[in-house]
Amino acid sequence: MCSAQWDLRKTEIPFNGQRIINVQLKPDQKALGEVVVVGYGTQKKVNLVGAVSAVKVDQQLASRSVPNASSALSGLVPGLSVTQASGMAGRNSADLVIRGLGTVNNASPLVVVDGMPDVDINRINMNDVESISVLKDAASAAVYGSRAANGVILITTRSGKGQRKTQINFNSNFALVKPTKAYKFLADYPRALTLEQRLAAVNTLPSLFLFKNGTIDQWMAMGMIDPLRYPNTDWWDIIMRDGQMQQYNLSASGGTENTNFFISVGVQDEKGLQINNDFKRYSARFNYDAKLRKNMNVGVKFYGNWTKFVYALEDGFTDDNPGNTAGFDMRYAIAGITPYDPATGHYGGVMAYNEDPQAYNPYTVYMNTLNRQNRQEANSSIYWDWSPLKGLTGRIDYALNYYNQFRWNANTPNTSYNFQTNSFGSRIYVGANAGVGNYTNTGYKTMLTGRLNYEKTIARHHQVSAMAAYSEEYWYDRYQATSRNDRLHPTLHEVDAALTDIQGTGGNSGTEGLRSYIGRVNYTAFDKYLLEANFRYDGSSKFLPGHQFGFFPSIAAGWHFTEEQFIHRFTRRFLTRGKIRASYGSLGNNSGVGRYEQQETLSQLNYYTNAIQKGFVNRKMVNQDLSWETTRVFNLGLDLGFLDNRLTAELDYYNRLTTGMNRPSEMSILLTGAYTAPRRNIGDLRNRGVELNLSWADKIGQIRYGFNINASYNATVLKTWNEFLARGWTFIGMPYHFLYTYEDTGIAQSWQDVYNATPQGASPGDILRKDLNGDGKIDGNDKKAYPHTQRDRPTTNYAFSGHLSWKGIDFSFLFQGAAGRKDYWINNYNDVNFSAQRYAATEAHWTNPWSVDNRDGLWPRLGGNANREETTFWLDNLSYLRLKNIQLGYALPGSLLKRIGISSFRIFGSAENLATITSFRGLDPEKTGNKSDAYPLNKSYSFGFNVGL
Amino acid sequence: MKNLLDQEPTTELGAASYWKTEDDATFAIMGAYANVRSLFDRDYYLDGHGEYFRTRGTSTVADDLLHGDAYRDGNYNPSGYGGSFDRMFKNLYGGVNRANYVIDNVTKMLPNATAASLPNLERIIGEARLLRGMVYFRLISMWGHVPYIGSTVYSNAEVATIARTPIAQVKDSIMADLTYAFEKLPVKAPEIGRASKAAALAFRGKLQLYWACWNDFGWPELEGFTADKGAAAAAYNAAAADFRKVINDYGLTLFRGGAPGEIDSLGKADKLPNYYYLFTPVANGDPEMIMAFNHGGTGTNQGEELMRDVAGRSHENSQCWVSPRYEIADRYQSTITGDFAPKLIPMNPAAPNARTASNSALNPRSYADRDYRMKASIMWDYEVSVGLASLKVTNWVPFIYKTWNQPVTIDGEKYTTYNTDGCNSGYVLRKFLRNYAGQGRSDGDYNFPVMRLADVYLMYAEATNAVNGPQADAIDLLNKIRHRGNLPPLSGEKTASKEAFFSAIEQERIIELFGEGHRGFDLRRWRALERVWGPPGGPGVWRMDTHNAQVTRYYQNTTPREYQQNYIFRIPQSERDRNPNLTQNTPWL
Repeated sequence: MCSAQWDLRKTEIPFNGQRIINVQLKPDQKALGEVVVVGYGTQKKVNLVGAVSAVKVDQQLASRSVPNASSALSGLVPGLSVTQASGMAGRNSADLVIRGLGTVNNASPLVVVDGMPDVDINRINMNDVESISVLKDAASAAVYGSRAANGVILITTRSGKGQRKTQINFNSNFALVKPTKAYKFLADYPRALTLEQRLAAVNTLPSLFLFKNGTIDQWMAMGMIDPLRYPNTDWWDIIMRDGQMQQYNLSASGGTENTNFFISVGVQDEKGLQINNDFKRYSARFNYDAKLRKNMNVGVKFYGNWTKFVYALEDGFTDDNPGNTAGFDMRYAIAGITPYDPATGHYGGVMAYNEDPQAYNPYTVYMNTLNRQNRQEANSSIYWDWSPLKGLTGRIDYALNYYNQFRWNANTPNTSYNFQTNSFGSRIYVGANAGVGNYTNTGYKTMLTGRLNYEKTIARHHQVSAMAAYSEEYWYDRYQATSRNDRLHPTLHEVDAALTDIQGTGGNSGTEGLRSYIGRVNYTAFDKYLLEANFRYDGSSKFLPGHQFGFFPSIAAGWHFTEEQFIHRFTRRFLTRGKIRASYGSLGNNSGVGRYEQQETLSQLNYYTNAIQKGFVNRKMVNQDLSWETTRVFNLGLDLGFLDNRLTAELDYYNRLTTGMNRPSEMSILLTGAYTAPRRNIGDLRNRGVELNLSWADKIGQIRYGFNINASYNATVLKTWNEFLARGWTFIGMPYHFLYTYEDTGIAQSWQDVYNATPQGASPGDILRKDLNGDGKIDGNDKKAYPHTQRDRPTTNYAFSGHLSWKGIDFSFLFQGAAGRKDYWINNYNDVNFSAQRYAATEAHWTNPWSVDNRDGLWPRLGGNANREETTFWLDNLSYLRLKNIQLGYALPGSLLKRIGISSFRIFGSAENLATITSFRGLDPEKTGNKSDAYPLNKSYSFGFNVGL
Repeated sequence: MKNLLDQEPTTELGAASYWKTEDDATFAIMGAYANVRSLFDRDYYLDGHGEYFRTRGTSTVADDLLHGDAYRDGNYNPSGYGGSFDRMFKNLYGGVNRANYVIDNVTKMLPNATAASLPNLERIIGEARLLRGMVYFRLISMWGHVPYIGSTVYSNAEVATIARTPIAQVKDSIMADLTYAFEKLPVKAPEIGRASKAAALAFRGKLQLYWACWNDFGWPELEGFTADKGAAAAAYNAAAADFRKVINDYGLTLFRGGAPGEIDSLGKADKLPNYYYLFTPVANGDPEMIMAFNHGGTGTNQGEELMRDVAGRSHENSQCWVSPRYEIADRYQSTITGDFAPKLIPMNPAAPNARTASNSALNPRSYADRDYRMKASIMWDYEVSVGLASLKVTNWVPFIYKTWNQPVTIDGEKYTTYNTDGCNSGYVLRKFLRNYAGQGRSDGDYNFPVMRLADVYLMYAEATNAVNGPQADAIDLLNKIRHRGNLPPLSGEKTASKEAFFSAIEQERIIELFGEGHRGFDLRRWRALERVWGPPGGPGVWRMDTHNAQVTRYYQNTTPREYQQNYIFRIPQSERDRNPNLTQNTPWL
């Protein structure tokens, strides 16, 4: 699966007395000639001097039922951290970070697909992918200069090159999706109201309780016989379902002497765990290369995809937009609401006396307020190369990526209904004047590249190659939105089908240009000494003239020390191959800067007199000198192959210093009311780490097997910050967002405990925080900083994978884990100080809170004091080990299939995220901290088959 | 591509091409108005610092100026608020910078201006200086000494180590701004919402009145400020002179001639008093609105959110962030006696005679024959308002405290009661509540007044009374305001002494300016917190509701220091961390 290894595999053919032995020598080609895609070209794996990890997409990887390519990379590449933030269909892409948080600005790697940067990795059909290269150091990434500071992911799609026979493949995969873990809401309204009473009892007389005993008793009694009027809704059951994912892919590839092709069509159909959260992707690819003359080639690539995405809320279960005050959060979904009554067609609202009429019926939101988003992308490119002289090749590439995204909503009016009084409640879920909204994003990106390659061998042992390129990239994006109120009829959903009296519109566009000069020189002597130098000189329209261009050079050297006789003599017994490599260079980042941010502009702020009046204000205070953020990377690597390369090891050490991180500068409060702070090159951040990749592959009899262990450790530290830093989780000499926490002595069991502690307003049942500085009060000064613990991401990522095949049976597994991250287990669903009305308690609220009768309660008491503070009480270690994938396949014997004209047939079963070991008590240790995000990560069981013709 | 690295913005205006024409100056002052609008147009929240108005929260959005960022995070209780107005501080300085930008750039245009355009450019500078003056006035009335920034700032370094300017000096700068504005502004601006001479004069008068009060009653929390009775008298006189000009020179009249208008019977709201309409868009551009900040309605993205803040869910899903406290009701006088009515008796609704007992707060009859401004300002049980949903009228909505969203039959007609989770006193506001459909809760088009003629009348009366005792013209002005509530003129005893007349003025300020954000400022400048809430260490005062439940007690066992902190606001600590020269007000050290 992960083939970051050299493979000088011996070919052994067992002799069973047959007369003809067919010996195929294909492994040799793999061993010596294995080629890795690098920026603007390919290189022999053995001659790499940069830190490049390559992933070959094989059948096992393509058979996994992961929703997108980013998620599929989990655990495959040392130094590439892949974290899944949500399981929401359509929003379940993973966050990719190479070698730690490189900058406090956008720290995502650059994704380049078939030479074109800025392609969305998540829209790629995994079945089309031939290989993925991850460029981690300056030597390999510097050819992408200004945008390569966070590493580069190169994806290369398949071609029919070298195929003798046209191959037709059909792959299918069907997965059943379940949550890894989910919240357990209390589907028992009387108990939820009892919890409200317990909360109220802290400081309210029983006679003033909002929820009276009568209300609760009545609900308890009537709930058993009249669920419509006295519901105890299990919301999770109503709004969740078993997810599904189906993937079908048909491809054909082949070639002749002069041409080759790859075509593929694919469908991916995802039904999320949440009702009406669906995502479908259709894709088609056509790759074609032709030899026009002996020394001249052309090729085209076309990839089209179309997605259909349905969802209700931005984050699945919530909408964190602060402007949305509708309270669409599961914590407001009380059990005492009937979701929907098919008999009357009404959606339920609150009914209990004194319940907050704004309590929430998620069912109506997930049924009636859906967003539907279609997006089409066409990525196309052509090239033409010509080698007029031996060793000299000229090539022109032109690529055009186009996208069009359209989202619409046309909500269906409905009002909360009280089935007890048979009247409408006051909460109007969707007003009668609901209209239609249309939102279009469209745009394109073009890239024109001309490049020259020259290769020459001098005096037999000296190979020199050089590459020079010129490139222009241009982005154009526009947005337009239209909405009208008062849809004419619920069956209509286009803007024309609504009244014109109230309408809204919006629109804007933006452009950006990048001009680049790129060069590379490679020198190899005696196949032992490797030398490489790269540079890129980039100019970006984001900066002002004089500061537009950045120069990003790198050098690297490698030494095949096992080729030296004086070493080989000692090591040949166990060490087949050994290479040491080192590189140093600089990379850039301009991602933090807006397209027009550096230009002096006035922005609109209109006023109204007798009519609307144009108004302009100056919001900008531009820092004319702003320039690139620069990252310098030193990389030292060791590649070893033992025992005929059955065991290979790669070790890397890197030291990566990002300087001049451009951030909005600290500005006086006397100015921030009028001006946005200008960006300045403010801080330096250092990342240091080690990576290890260890592979074993061998064969025992007919059993082929292999293992891979990869691990990485990264330590990040903020070196400088040229501005005032208030006390908080950003500080010099510490990781960015380090753990800065109150410590506690646990829950006070008695008043004596309270008196023994520093006064902090506590009562028995409250968490007692420590007065670390001993000043007799608890405040921010009592927090303790942990220099080695981060809250946002782990320091250590590791994976262990293996594969085994015997005859037609193949088996593989992948464990993936992380360590070094701690965060608080505080979210909207374990609130011990919930609101006095409309709180959807969880089952844990019933059992966990401390009380005199429950002194060992896991949580402090309900309605206590300062129990939601970020103390060590709530702190969890987010280390985990997860069985990411396990797969079992069986390929029918070829002899059998030949008779029915099929060349291969494999069936398989596979499971994702099957098991997780973690001490984290929250939803999932992989997710990043969001207090309201309830969308679980997915666990899936899939079944599928691959047919080849 | 030749211009690849030279990409022009498409929705923002390149600054290089600006400041060429008179129009540019106009657009710039419009931008400044729009910015400063957001610093004053939710002043109703600030009424929570007084004793009659509850602000339980705000509908603001953080870091969104047009949606009330200036008011966000503020504590709007009667006590303990002084340390929570950092955002207000920040945004007020935003307003200063906006005004400075206009003043500096338009001033640069003056030397080359044609004779024809000169008055307009000077008018624009005048408007900008008025806005700047208003903003600094707000700053000194909350924080005392504040840094003074008088011109455009080009880099953070210019203000990074700035110190506070003594209040007297800031006050003189404001005077200069307002005087310039008074000279250059038109007698009457042709556009609704742009300032006229009267606005500059009224604010100059108000500034001097406050200055007089600080000198008269003292401001011990403000270090380095010494009260001076002589300065107070001079300032009272100067204030009165400015107010007199406002009252006499521009032909300004109270809304609808100060007539009380019609009033409907209890429980009906087809006819509402004129005072109610003064706080609806009907009054936009009325001469009484000396200075108001305009809002555009639906589709302009410049709406006000008054309804969202004052009404309940039954009114376009409004949130009732603000409401009257129970104690305001007794402040509304009888139209028959012209004096206070018998005190209302809060009663448990379960009591058999709660709805019928004489003077019961739950008996609608108890509210008969009161100041018309009562019906126009608040709603008690069984008062109705127009229910609104999805931009349409639903039905009349009767308000019955703690009977939210329930079916109710009144006179044979079925209704659904008012619904809110925001009211804890037994009353909600009618003032500022729309009674017509067509606008969402965030799309109001009411021009929020920051200076009304009625306020000028009252300030004039206050200024003259302070120096010379009750004056005939002042009494007359007060009676004009009372007439609006259909109250008879003040009886002789109310104008018999300086103290009595002051009480009458305060009474009118409470009623007339209810919910407009004045009360907290009045209590502070009069040093009246102890008068209202009792001395430090005292038992405090309960706020009640109509059901006779104790709701909240304020100023219980409150320390002298906490009192001090209610008299002056805290300079933002985050800025002091950065700027060592920025001193703090002593109660906050």
